[in-house]
Amino acid sequence: MKADAKAKLVVSEIQRFCMHDGPGVRTTVFLKGCPLRCLWCHNPETQDARPELLYYAKKCLGCLECLECENGVHFFSEGIHHIDKSKCTVCSKCAANCPASALEICGKLMTVEEICEAAEKDLAFYGKEGGITLSGGEPLFQPASLELLSFCKERGLKTAVDTCGYFSEELLAPAVKSTDVFLWDIKDTDDARHLKYTGASNKRILENLRKADALGAKIKLRFILVNGVNSEERHYEECAKIYRSLRGALKPEVIPYHAFGGVKKEFLLESANGRSEWIPEEGQIAKFKQYLGI
Amino acid sequence: MRFPSANGIERPIRLSAATRRFALDSLGRKYGLLTRSNPGIDLTAEELADLSDLEKYDLAVKKIALEAPVRVCPGELISGAATLGAAIEHKVPAFCDGKMLFWSISHLTVDFETVVKKGVGFIEEQAKAALLKYQGTEREAFCQSALNCLEAFRIYHKRYLEALKERSEYRCNYENLLHVPFSRAENFYEGVQSIWFTFSFLRLCGNWPGIGRLDVLLGDLLENDLRNGKLTLDEAREILSHLFIKGCEWICGGDYGSGDAQHYQNIVLSGTDENGRDVTNDVTYLVLDIVEETGISDFPVTVRLNKNTDEKLLKRVAEVMRLGGGILAVYNEEIVLRSLVDYGYPGSEAAKFANDGCWEVQVPGKTNFSYHPFDSLAILQKETLKSYCGSVDFASFEEFYSAYVKDLKAFLETLLQNKLTFKPSTPCTVVSLFEEGCLKKGLSYLEGGPVYNVYSPHIGGLADTVNFLYAVKKLVFDDALVSFRELIGILAANWEGHETLLAYAKNKYAYYGNDHDEVDELCARLLNDFADGCDALNGRSGYIFPGGVSTFGRQLQWSKHRLACAHGRKAGEVLAANASPTPGSDQAGATAIIRSYCKCDLKRVPTGAALDIRLLPSLVKGEEGIAALVALMRGFVILGGFFMQPDIVDAAVLREAQRDPDNYQNLSVRVSGWNARFVTLNKEWQDMIISQNESGR
Repeated sequence: MKADAKAKLVVSEIQRFCMHDGPGVRTTVFLKGCPLRCLWCHNPETQDARPELLYYAKKCLGCLECLECENGVHFFSEGIHHIDKSKCTVCSKCAANCPASALEICGKLMTVEEICEAAEKDLAFYGKEGGITLSGGEPLFQPASLELLSFCKERGLKTAVDTCGYFSEELLAPAVKSTDVFLWDIKDTDDARHLKYTGASNKRILENLRKADALGAKIKLRFILVNGVNSEERHYEECAKIYRSLRGALKPEVIPYHAFGGVKKEFLLESANGRSEWIPEEGQIAKFKQYLGI
Repeated sequence: MRFPSANGIERPIRLSAATRRFALDSLGRKYGLLTRSNPGIDLTAEELADLSDLEKYDLAVKKIALEAPVRVCPGELISGAATLGAAIEHKVPAFCDGKMLFWSISHLTVDFETVVKKGVGFIEEQAKAALLKYQGTEREAFCQSALNCLEAFRIYHKRYLEALKERSEYRCNYENLLHVPFSRAENFYEGVQSIWFTFSFLRLCGNWPGIGRLDVLLGDLLENDLRNGKLTLDEAREILSHLFIKGCEWICGGDYGSGDAQHYQNIVLSGTDENGRDVTNDVTYLVLDIVEETGISDFPVTVRLNKNTDEKLLKRVAEVMRLGGGILAVYNEEIVLRSLVDYGYPGSEAAKFANDGCWEVQVPGKTNFSYHPFDSLAILQKETLKSYCGSVDFASFEEFYSAYVKDLKAFLETLLQNKLTFKPSTPCTVVSLFEEGCLKKGLSYLEGGPVYNVYSPHIGGLADTVNFLYAVKKLVFDDALVSFRELIGILAANWEGHETLLAYAKNKYAYYGNDHDEVDELCARLLNDFADGCDALNGRSGYIFPGGVSTFGRQLQWSKHRLACAHGRKAGEVLAANASPTPGSDQAGATAIIRSYCKCDLKRVPTGAALDIRLLPSLVKGEEGIAALVALMRGFVILGGFFMQPDIVDAAVLREAQRDPDNYQNLSVRVSGWNARFVTLNKEWQDMIISQNESGR
């Protein structure tokens, strides 16, 4: 069955010439929507599946062009720009008007074909390895991502999926079929902590991982390391076990926590939540890698 | 001992400690300061009385050969030296009463092929024949001058033989010089010595030639030596490295505005020959090894790529490239070759292409080359828009665009008016000896002696002009936010009081470099119209008139006179370099920039269009970094690029070098089409480069 070229997805951003999102040169498509709420999330603007307003305060000129909003989202008092996001209908009028691009709608509805064509712009750079990477958010949160993956395969593009592993089981087989490589995040092997810090249990994630492997998926594990949260040797050991248990595992990576995602919270009109004490030290990263044998 | 890289990556060690020491001394200005301390030879008014210019020149060359200090550096494996300081300043180093006599010649790559494969003796025979042929004609004087200069070359040669004779540590140098450069080189070592000795004499007389295709010149000789067990690759690398190290003999440090590193001594590597065969050989890789280890930037290297370029070579180029410094650049030779053939060069001649020492394409050893970069934005502001004080108005974008193209073409016409005939500004016999055609025609290099005589107009500020035109199209005609007259008034007032519109113009449109078809097509259209303008004038003069795209850092001077721009720039901002986007306007990364650039039909500009690409060090780390650079080069070839110079610089390293110049004497950075040692740039240039590397991605 041919993929549905007209199926639509909510895309937060398409980034070209990415070198760390799968093999070779990638065009990374960030899709909105995620079932997890990791406290260390580095793309918080992709958690909510719906388009939403972003505001970059530093760019605001105070020109008042946004006051044309009919819903009263924007108001200024004493020269300060206030935004009542609850009133926003995401009509995008203010973003279109804003001369400084201080206002932006994150989340653009694009068809499978449009997204694929955007990735095809860099065909000349992909060589044998490169291609499209779906990221987010959780790419499989939007079911049309399966259409996108199979459409890309039909067009001869190499595909990668950067997943948190938390998705419904029936998506697994079709996803594996259309995905050349999974970048599979493992946040924590301690389920109680997983629930506390991500809002969900890790059971489904690990179960999906096992099944994906059984279906023959190529998987690059990415272990998130957060100092003081999962920086303990028991966890490293569990991770190493998981890595060794997979048939189709590529060389895994350790992804140390960084605080940039915290800053993005401000663009979402929430308070910044970056935590510098979470940034792991070099020694911790080395130790983790030692356990993994990389 | 330290050879710094522009991003902190360690350089490998392959050369001997003695050679590395020699490199550090040479990079550390030891020989440059010596050279500078002795500017040139003196001629008396009596000696020069009653002599023609050409005779004065010959006398000067002879005295240079007789009197220039002979310099033999400790441990040098090849000999010859350009030891007179005025040569560093592009002058014939000869004075009369403290006044210089003649300027010298640059922007050419001379015929080292004849030197290596036939020997300078062959040129002597040609000169004698020319004198016979042109005896009694007005061309006799040039032929006589050729013989005089060759005699001077012999004198210079003899002085080195004397200096090296019976000094056991220089036995090889001496024995090699017994054969070369007057006879053909029989082995690799002689080949390197032959090129260097001839090059050093050319430079001693003030000229700044490029070297050209070094792997083609030396590849067969090395292969032969390796086969016969006469030389190992390590020995060959050591010998060749001395050509690079000796080439640093003009480094003087200090503050020279646009830097002291460049005397247009470019080397071209790899690519195909006239039969379409890949010329890549061991010499190709040895050059990369040497540049990788020493970071010597005085011989910028350009690699000719095509769709079949070996992955191994691409990876090696990437490894050296990521050390930064902008020393390595690439041509897509398929476009260059098609461009030259379309322009009328025979395929066998086009296949030999190298450049003028920087990157402007030419057939080496056969081309009299000059170029003229001009500010296309200034034409738009001054001519079409009367510098914003007139009452210009246009009813449609097409009307506006046509008016501009008309002004652009009129400018090209004026440019050519100055070059209708050959007007030699100086005698130039020494370079003429090494340019095919001169002895045959009995005419010097500047008199049109070479086979090809090229005068190339280079459109500068291309991205700025395109973006300006495009912004007017959008603001005035498509989106009707402002009338033409209003916009011109706002620009005349440097956007004062119109900050909202300024921000809108700057932020809301995708400009050249973002892979946005509408603006990129406008760029392609303008480039075509420029090329049409050049083509229409070709044939009107003794020069052929092929176009190119460049600014070479002149945007720094130009920007001071530029008024506010419609694409959201205030008066005087430093704008786009070469064929690169307006700084800060590119938001979509390196692949998008390359795509935008390649939408232009680049074979329409046969002398070239340079694309500078700046990459953050984080992008080129590890194996992924190599893959990234390889991918950029592959894509650039597939999409039909012309010339690309990727540079990888950490702005923090540059700031450190600004604070602590002593520790970064050798740090090379790309400036704009060429490179320079960072510490020799003045503050304004340094700041420009730092800011470009901060805004880059």
